[in-house]
Amino acid sequence: MEYHPLPQPDEIPVREREDAMGAYFMMFATAALGLPLPIINMIAAIIYYFVNKSKGRFVQFHTLQSLYSQIPVTLLNIGLVVWVITNLVKEYDFTEVFWGYLVMTAVANLIYLIFSVVGAVKARKGLFYYFLFFGKLSYAQVYRVRVGDGEQQRENKPPKM
Amino acid sequence: MMRTSIIRDLVILLVIFGFIWGIISLFPVFPEKVELVSIEREQELGETYLEAILKNSDFEEVTSEEMTNAVEAIGLRLENALEGSEYDYRYLVVDDKMINAFTLPGGNIIVTTGLIEFCGSPEELAGVMAHEMGHVEMRHVVSRLVKELGIAILTSGDQFVMGEVTRIITSTGFDRKQEQSADLFACELLEDAGIEPRTLATFFRKLRDDQDNELLEKFEIVSTHPNFTHRIREVLEYVPDENFEEIPMEIEWEEVKGQLPEGRVSK
Repeated sequence: MEYHPLPQPDEIPVREREDAMGAYFMMFATAALGLPLPIINMIAAIIYYFVNKSKGRFVQFHTLQSLYSQIPVTLLNIGLVVWVITNLVKEYDFTEVFWGYLVMTAVANLIYLIFSVVGAVKARKGLFYYFLFFGKLSYAQVYRVRVGDGEQQRENKPPKM
Repeated sequence: MMRTSIIRDLVILLVIFGFIWGIISLFPVFPEKVELVSIEREQELGETYLEAILKNSDFEEVTSEEMTNAVEAIGLRLENALEGSEYDYRYLVVDDKMINAFTLPGGNIIVTTGLIEFCGSPEELAGVMAHEMGHVEMRHVVSRLVKELGIAILTSGDQFVMGEVTRIITSTGFDRKQEQSADLFACELLEDAGIEPRTLATFFRKLRDDQDNELLEKFEIVSTHPNFTHRIREVLEYVPDENFEEIPMEIEWEEVKGQLPEGRVSK
């Protein structure tokens, strides 16, 4: 499998670096809303991805990595909200399994937060930063040479008569 | 290869997080979750809950000085015998014909006029109160709340939680072990306070003989497991020290009962 060459930091314009950084910081903006409704973070991240994906592979890589890494964290958070509400409504006990889940979710959020900040800082410097799993996944998706890449000819043609 | 490398990363992630979940589920980090609520915090919570319960439930505080003084005197007698307690006890009599006594966090013990009516002597009431103090000292009250609500919610002091707290405190009981240890605690405390511990057995016998009384429905001592014969036996098995000397309560019990609000002198 072939991959497109990676751009070096000095080849990446500031504009693109900032958009890439924005992908990670976006979640801070939606964090307040995302606390009771984690899905909102997710929707915002998806929108950000589609708005920015055409801004070059560097931006696309970072936004996709931010989006991908957010999916499991969001799922965990939704699970937690649902679990707590169910327990309260149905008067179930908060079991050890629940506490385990709570701690795991907290750890996931913390790690996600730390990695996002590092990712944002690196992106601003025009560097790549690969999260475990999500980094490779995003790299593979964004930089893999697909059939048809590079063959797109941009050519203006007169209207068909 | 890229694909294998990605899958390997995924497996690493799953293992790490699965491990965290599993380890905490199997080896609880907070086995004594109640320890996370400090006694100071518990007292603060008790204060808040007490206010909320008096405000939002049908309970009305009894104003009769004779009655509150009597309960207070019993409480003080027990407290003086209680060594090294970190709690500031508070006693409250509420007007309710249900026979009930319950404990809010932070050592707030509430007895109903129904219970006072039911008790044949101040010593019997002392037995119930000593039993409740056992639940306080062994932190059963707060651990039951922690178990049912979780620490975060409990300590939030949120007013929306109050309703639930009220329900738990006034209706559900403790588990069998907790009741047993509270009985034992009560016996020891009664003895130290110069009250015949076996009065508690007398009281239990009365409860057993009157189990179908609907006024007893909510009484914590009764609600959990009405296997009184067993509990009576356990209390009777408690033998006080041979030097034990009973110090009578200087309370005119009939006069106290005479203070029951009009129409509440149940039969």
